[in-house]
Amino acid sequence: MIQPQSYLSVADNSGAKKLMCIRVLGVNEKQSGSIGDVIIAVVKEALPNMALKRSDIVRAVIVRTCRGIRRPNGMSIRFDDNAAVIINKEGNPRGSRVFGPVARELRDRNFTKIISLAPEVV
Amino acid sequence: MVLKTTTCRFSGLRIYPGRGIIFVRTDGQQYLFINQKAKGLFNQRKRPAKIAWTTTYRKQHKKDQDAVVARKKRRTTTRVQARAITGASLEVINKRKNEKPEARKASREAALREVKERMKNKKQEKASARQMDKKAPGGGKAAMKTQLTRAPAKGTKR
Repeated sequence: MIQPQSYLSVADNSGAKKLMCIRVLGVNEKQSGSIGDVIIAVVKEALPNMALKRSDIVRAVIVRTCRGIRRPNGMSIRFDDNAAVIINKEGNPRGSRVFGPVARELRDRNFTKIISLAPEVV
Repeated sequence: MVLKTTTCRFSGLRIYPGRGIIFVRTDGQQYLFINQKAKGLFNQRKRPAKIAWTTTYRKQHKKDQDAVVARKKRRTTTRVQARAITGASLEVINKRKNEKPEARKASREAALREVKERMKNKKQEKASARQMDKKAPGGGKAAMKTQLTRAPAKGTKR
């Protein structure tokens, strides 16, 4: 359940550490974002001397949520934290690595690059 | 159709398709729970061995053991099969097995009677032989004896 003002950790090596969501793309005002949704976010924390700085506005895709998602077979899958991977306009990740497990649902949204970089796909 | 089931990490119950919660930790560890109750108790750091309805508790406290024993017994008994043993081939054993109990009993009694009869005859002959010995002592003993030994053989045949 990601909505404007939600904080997310960053699951890649782009240099940002914390994001704050300011918009979830493709959903109604009253709905919230889930795994696979693209968000517009503000970098709230960043490592020094990297491409991204504090208060940069970026696009990111949600890869893990505490709320989780429900699979068509009835099983639900949940994670420890809310995390996103920073992407460019074309949907490719800005960093070169992805950390932590990601959900398989990203493949359905054509984020195959993130899937291939991830150490574990569940 | 065989349904593919998984087991609950907390309760040990089987998870059928359409149920279940997978909880994935950031280090990649996956936990499978059957329902929110199991997940909630796990999050409270409860130990399944202390909660009475879980399979680990029931195994520890030796519940449901009778059923397991009964099933084992039945399996072993069904496994017993007729086999050829020295002097009795498989056919003979099967024939004996398939005979009706009455027929079996009758044949057994007949055999016993026959044996008894034989024993009786033998005894009688022995007794008669002794009498003959007494009646005719002395000369011609050898000749008499040969005759006598032949006689009981005839008797048994009858």
